[in-house]
Amino acid sequence: MKRRSAKSKSRPAELTTVVVLRLYVAGGAPNSRQAIANLESICAEYLKDGHRLEVVDVLEDPRRAMAEGVLVTPSLTKLSPQPVAQVVGNLSDRKRVLLALGLKPDVA
Amino acid sequence: MLEAARLQSALRQLPEGGVERQAVDAGEIDAVIDYANSNIIMFPLAQRALRDAAKGATAADRQPALKGPARNSVLAALPRADYERLLPGLEAVALKVGEVLHEEDVPIRYVYFLVDCVVSLLTRTEGQRTTATGIVGREGMVGMPLVYGVDASSVRAQVLAAGTAMRMSAERFRDQFRQSLPLQRELYRYAYVQLAQTRQAVACGRSHHTEQFLASMLLTISDRSGSQELLLTQETLADLLHARRESITVAATALRSGNLIRYSRGKVSIVRRKGLEAASCSCYKRIETLHAV
Repeated sequence: MKRRSAKSKSRPAELTTVVVLRLYVAGGAPNSRQAIANLESICAEYLKDGHRLEVVDVLEDPRRAMAEGVLVTPSLTKLSPQPVAQVVGNLSDRKRVLLALGLKPDVA
Repeated sequence: MLEAARLQSALRQLPEGGVERQAVDAGEIDAVIDYANSNIIMFPLAQRALRDAAKGATAADRQPALKGPARNSVLAALPRADYERLLPGLEAVALKVGEVLHEEDVPIRYVYFLVDCVVSLLTRTEGQRTTATGIVGREGMVGMPLVYGVDASSVRAQVLAAGTAMRMSAERFRDQFRQSLPLQRELYRYAYVQLAQTRQAVACGRSHHTEQFLASMLLTISDRSGSQELLLTQETLADLLHARRESITVAATALRSGNLIRYSRGKVSIVRRKGLEAASCSCYKRIETLHAV
């Protein structure tokens, strides 16, 4: 018994960092659609399953956008891990987005 | 207050020199949140796009900036979600005549979805002599070996008519190709068309006169580039048809005397398209019907 408990203690708990993102968009407006496509592509490439993305349509829920201090759309907020970071625009500047997400862009 | 004035007033509320203003200047913003009036104010372009969407307009109509890549038939045939997933990895490039996109036996770095240019696929015969074994235009993609799971090209891909293409890195393309069934379907279909065209061209070169073959080639290049004015020297045409330059001169002179084409200083203009179609062999029609597959 003793041996078994020692073994279980020696195994470290698995820690996976999940990146939590919130993207504010204005319905199907061009820059908003572009931002969703760009972000999906970045997540598929860099974060795989290690992320949670919530897309908030400010046209459907303007109060929430105001409560959360959004100034323009599209606008992306990384809520976790800390520090909180924000990128505005259609997210076509991949390097800037990766930097905000705390990821290293691939060396070209 | 007018919508434009309200937008201006909301924009003035944005922090001076902040990232929001920079994104507005770059045209990357759709809406501003107007805290003074508890309102969302849309930019005119975004508002128009939403109105069009409500009317059921097509994706290409809603997004003028995306019209370029959508002129490539492979990209245009994709469902919206697949098309949009590809967009961030696509980069518009201007291609010049003579530019080599892929060299024989060299690993492919980029694939090219052609928008309004034409690329010839050249196979080496003896020494440095090459002959065209394929013509690619806006209906296809340059970099098909990757579709077959091969990393290097067996031909040289060289720009025949200048224009724009959307390119994507080979690495990213492999990734997207694996993920998107519609992209696989479109490119397999195109691969079939390309193979059938090559077979037809082999049969054509063996059984038809240079004049008919030349008429077919000019029509094909015109279709691929979407232009009636083709910048082609007799030397290029000789390489394309694997014929001697003298034979090209004779064939081109015959087409010119029938007032089907004009030819001067490396520029071929198609004057009477119907007449040129009549002068071409049946292979041209057969090749064109393959696109309807």
